[in-house]
Amino acid sequence: MRKTETEESGIQMDFPDNLFPTFFLPGPPGLSDSPASYLAPAWSDYMQLLKPPQTQDPSINPQHEASYVTKWGRWKSDTPGPLPFLLPGADPWDPELMSQDLLFRGRVKQPARAKATIDVIEQLNHFLWDHGDIAFGPLGMLLQENFNLGETKKSRKNKMVMNTEWLLRDLNGYQPKGCPWAHLSTRQRRFSLLGGTVLGEEVENLLGGLLHEELETRWKRLLLDEASTGGALGWVPGAKPHHGQLVYPTGRAHDQLNFQKVKLSPTKEPQALGDPSHILLRGPVRQVVTRTIQGEALVAVRSDHHCALWRLGHRGPPEPLQVLEMEKEATGISLSPHLPGELAVCTRSGAVCLWSPQHGLRQVHKDPETFVFKDPSSWRWADFTAHPRVLTVADRTGIRLADVRAPSDCGELLFRVGAEASCQRGERVLLAQYLGTPDPLPLSPTLHLVCSQFSLYLLDERLPLVPMLKWNHGLLSPPLLARLLPPPRPEAPLPLLLGGLGGHLRMLHLSGGSDRAPQLAAPPQSLPSLIDSLPGFPVLEPHGQQLLQDRLRAPLTGLAAVVPPRCPSPTMLLFQLSAAGDVFYQRLWLQPDTSSENAGSSSTDHTEDLGLNSHSQTSATSSLGTVSEPSAVSWKPRAVACCRRWLKTLLQVPPTLPSWVPPTFSQHHLRWLKEENKGKVREGLQAAMAEGRLLLQGDLGPLPPSDPPPTHEPFGTEDKLSERLEASWERKGAIWWDSQLDGSRLPRKRQSREKRRTQLSSSFSSIRSTSDFSDVNSPLPHSSKTPSPLHRMSETSQSLELSQELWVKNIPRERRQTLRDYLAVLPSPDSGNCSTPQFQNPSSQSLSTSEPGKCSVPCSQNPRTQTLFSPLPESSSALYSQNPNSQSLYSPEPGFNSLFHSQNSSIQKLPSRHTPTLAGSQPLRKKPRMGF
Amino acid sequence: MDAFSEELMGFVQKDAQVEASKDPVPEIHLPWLSQHIQRTGSHVQKGTNFAQTTSICLNFIQEALLKHQWQRASEFLQCYLQTLEDINSQKRQMAPEISLQHALYLLHNGMVEDAYRNLNQAESWRYGEMSASQEKLIKLIQAYRGLLDYYTWSKKRTEVSKFDMDGFATNAATHDMHSYFRQASVNLHEIIKIPGVWDTFVKSYVEMLEFYGDQDGARQVLTDYAYDNNFPSNPNAHIYLYKFLKKEKAPEDKLISVLKILHQIVPSHKIMLEFHMLLRKSKKEEHHKLGLEVLLAVLDFSGCTENITAWSYLAKYLKQIMKGKHQEWVQEAWSSRKDWWPTFHFSYYLAKKNWKENRILALKKAFTSGILLGKGCKYFMYVSKQGHKSREKSIKTMKKFVMKHNILDSEER
Repeated sequence: MRKTETEESGIQMDFPDNLFPTFFLPGPPGLSDSPASYLAPAWSDYMQLLKPPQTQDPSINPQHEASYVTKWGRWKSDTPGPLPFLLPGADPWDPELMSQDLLFRGRVKQPARAKATIDVIEQLNHFLWDHGDIAFGPLGMLLQENFNLGETKKSRKNKMVMNTEWLLRDLNGYQPKGCPWAHLSTRQRRFSLLGGTVLGEEVENLLGGLLHEELETRWKRLLLDEASTGGALGWVPGAKPHHGQLVYPTGRAHDQLNFQKVKLSPTKEPQALGDPSHILLRGPVRQVVTRTIQGEALVAVRSDHHCALWRLGHRGPPEPLQVLEMEKEATGISLSPHLPGELAVCTRSGAVCLWSPQHGLRQVHKDPETFVFKDPSSWRWADFTAHPRVLTVADRTGIRLADVRAPSDCGELLFRVGAEASCQRGERVLLAQYLGTPDPLPLSPTLHLVCSQFSLYLLDERLPLVPMLKWNHGLLSPPLLARLLPPPRPEAPLPLLLGGLGGHLRMLHLSGGSDRAPQLAAPPQSLPSLIDSLPGFPVLEPHGQQLLQDRLRAPLTGLAAVVPPRCPSPTMLLFQLSAAGDVFYQRLWLQPDTSSENAGSSSTDHTEDLGLNSHSQTSATSSLGTVSEPSAVSWKPRAVACCRRWLKTLLQVPPTLPSWVPPTFSQHHLRWLKEENKGKVREGLQAAMAEGRLLLQGDLGPLPPSDPPPTHEPFGTEDKLSERLEASWERKGAIWWDSQLDGSRLPRKRQSREKRRTQLSSSFSSIRSTSDFSDVNSPLPHSSKTPSPLHRMSETSQSLELSQELWVKNIPRERRQTLRDYLAVLPSPDSGNCSTPQFQNPSSQSLSTSEPGKCSVPCSQNPRTQTLFSPLPESSSALYSQNPNSQSLYSPEPGFNSLFHSQNSSIQKLPSRHTPTLAGSQPLRKKPRMGF
Repeated sequence: MDAFSEELMGFVQKDAQVEASKDPVPEIHLPWLSQHIQRTGSHVQKGTNFAQTTSICLNFIQEALLKHQWQRASEFLQCYLQTLEDINSQKRQMAPEISLQHALYLLHNGMVEDAYRNLNQAESWRYGEMSASQEKLIKLIQAYRGLLDYYTWSKKRTEVSKFDMDGFATNAATHDMHSYFRQASVNLHEIIKIPGVWDTFVKSYVEMLEFYGDQDGARQVLTDYAYDNNFPSNPNAHIYLYKFLKKEKAPEDKLISVLKILHQIVPSHKIMLEFHMLLRKSKKEEHHKLGLEVLLAVLDFSGCTENITAWSYLAKYLKQIMKGKHQEWVQEAWSSRKDWWPTFHFSYYLAKKNWKENRILALKKAFTSGILLGKGCKYFMYVSKQGHKSREKSIKTMKKFVMKHNILDSEER
């Protein structure tokens, strides 16, 4: 436990008896550009003025405290950028949807008023082509009775049945995409005239709205991904002063919670002790909160529809305390700094609850409307205050103090997006954080941090609505992460870190004891982000370089910082977690600033306070653009070696497939398949369907002698040139070379890749299932089950299989065969020009559907899964359903590394890419197209 | 679809002010939106216009400042100012603000005269029509000038009191002082009428009023500052009023009523301990009851958990109350705390910690826990056991008292 001076003094809650002058002008944001808005950034610098003249005669050269820089020095890093701390995980990562994917790229009519336009037509076009099964499937089912897909049994005598064979033959495999001059036969003409209106309108009406909604959600999430608010990287200090644990999620779905033991050293780099222990969750980890209170280390985790709490002992695996399941998405969780095991949880329904494993849930606040003005966002946030029974409840428009004991909705506002804080137009609350900790800090325990897109505010809960400090952070990404650290030395200012989702980092230096208003003790600093480490890595082939850049540019989703106690020279360790699951670290030293010593003598110098003099010597030599920073650090061999090691592992990770694969769907090929294959395929599919299992290659007989893609042509083992070419083509040139040098060949890795479930389709169907059917009380398959997010995800991606089963059930017996035939011929292994390498890979459709099932195996078999449920009070029972099913939701299985890893490692040993087992799952890759 | 994108994205350029009047609440404005659009690339004109250049330049400046590259920043700043020179009239209107900031800076560095000159200049600055906000700003500048006048006044006052001057010199100095007072009071009086936080101004103004014997005026200023609903609920305003009244030797009831309001706003304020003593001394029984609540409310806050004065006050007062047969007060105050105080104050962990770090605190807390939770309380048990070991004298009497008086037993009775 750190001891500070304030601890002894007892009272830490003196109110500063002289506040900085400011106007208090109520009103909407940006309405009155109140004078304070200009002064705001400067506030803190002049706080010292507040000393009354009796105690400090201003006419005498004031004994203002030496500036931070001269007194404490500067935080300096020993590397120009953060270094990798842990090796990259086995899962590949590719950047999520980017603005380029959504925005209109055509010419803009009014260039002066350039604005983002989402290219809906193009998106819709892609959607119809890529996901015809979803778009046209239902219609296809309706029309199915009247069309003959080539089955012999279907009576031709029936006048109501149209033979599609001719229709398709007319199309001749062409896809007249958008071509109005394509030749049309009479049959085609008739079909399009009769069916066109139905097909067109239905699709337009139904899909248009849904797609519009989906794009809107996507775009909003792209601009502001609020799910990761608070950060998913936690630090738990250990029993010994230089030990601790990092808690963070990894895995493609961010569903694997890791506990990595770390040893800090006062002089050397931090060390990861052994492999992390895992817990596999059934949902993505969005936020990790850690807190050590009364000797008890607690970890709280927020997933989309679950929150969970663990206790960390000094030995043994984390002990699960309780899991909470919520119907609406959870948006925030925080651990009480006062009472062990007490949490505040909030959801999109507008409800905020106090939750503790002992006492269950207690609703503190519920209001779907926002506080100050109407804002569509349903984001809510809750944190604690200096009073253990008072919470802060935040939405985008303001923050309210809510007393747990009082009836809800009657707390006063702590912060309001308005003229009082000189907010701008369109400003919103993005993060609200209580800065108090269980250990007393030399800062008043009543301070709250509020971040908007533009500014950072510090508020004292004893003087609501009037910010004690305001600073324009200038971050070009949403500031969703903030960490306050203890002072590196007694009486030194406290570092406050602010992290933007885009990786931008700022460090502020807060000073001010309990009886002084908080102030900035030094000019804020920007810290390097992951992408600043790029020069530390060796230059790669363009492929590899892109991969590396993407990886380093991944959004910053977690931030943890440690000031190791009792270090001879004060240091700070900064851990960063990216969305790719990479943990980087950087060490900062508080070093005495030698360059500003000369300037210290002349106190009248204007520039001295800001340290402007510090580089006066260099001014003569340096010119604009080629400024040589005297404080700039260079890449040391040790750091470069660290980056190189990390990169080597990264390049061994199999690349992901692009999330979007152009369709090469050809009716012609599918329909008129070779007869001998057809029979086997049909039998195999039938057997698989009957047993309800995955379709394997074995079911379909031997692979057809398809033309292997030219790049994969084996030229014999001795052909080193082509091997090398091939390796470098796959961005593994360096590895190949290394392996040649070592004399030991690395086994060629053939990973079972999963084609990413095309996101559009999944979310699309998820929208359909939630928004459309939730009103109707129809028993949907997913609503009866536990709606764990991953579960839901799997179900949506399972839509193919589900719908297949449904078809089999719903359609007449005599027609099933037709359908099976049709399905069986769909994913022909030799279909068309499948020379593109992607096609050799197993499809995500089948794998990703089976994956959750597999994952659940260790969960359900694990006898140690114990998720305790406490009786819930009636008031909140409507909100949080008490579901006994969720017992297997979180499986605390530290020994879990079995499935994914073993799977991967075994796959890595596979020698050839023409692996039958892998290709076996191919037939399900393509979804049946029932519409034409 | 166009409407969709419009409502979604707003404009990249900041020329959205035209639409400002249409809707009272604008959509969320995301400063990084333009980045996303620029990344898409193709439709943004290659040639950057003036506004873009300046904004890029501004970004460079900011980045350089944040990396503490002062040299670089100043070079960029020069370019920036040059480009702005003739074009941006809006920025020029900001000149008074900049002057004010500069003046504050000079003040901070003790250059009062320079600051004064600067403020004078700023006050006389005119550029185009004065906006409402500028008007307020000028008031603020004047107030600061008033503050500087007050500084001079206060310097003169010490001079007058310190040195033995002959009658003529004293007269001249007094006269001089008075003119500074007049200058200062006009400006200070103006600013404190506008809602805001004016601690320094109010204090200076009141001090001068008091010096010239205008007690009523001073009281009025303080009362307005504390009780005007347009002002933020500033705890200091109540403290100033309380201290003023106390100095005036106002009746206790009056003092209590001032602090009662402060208790509602900031129950954790350190002056609450003084308030508690005031209530205890009062003759009214309701004040005695409030005295307990005030004390417990102070201890509710995490920053006061180890406040030994509060704990010893509480221990003493509880003893008095229990003897005075007012258990129901304790029970009433305890009912809203019994579900969390045991963990918050009286856990086993805290017993060990307190005993190790501060025995007196541990003893006071143990006594309180005994009364509130009975002799079975972990905290009480641990401390009395440890106290017994180390032969702490007070342990026996404490145990005895707790056996006799605790609210658990009185509940059962």
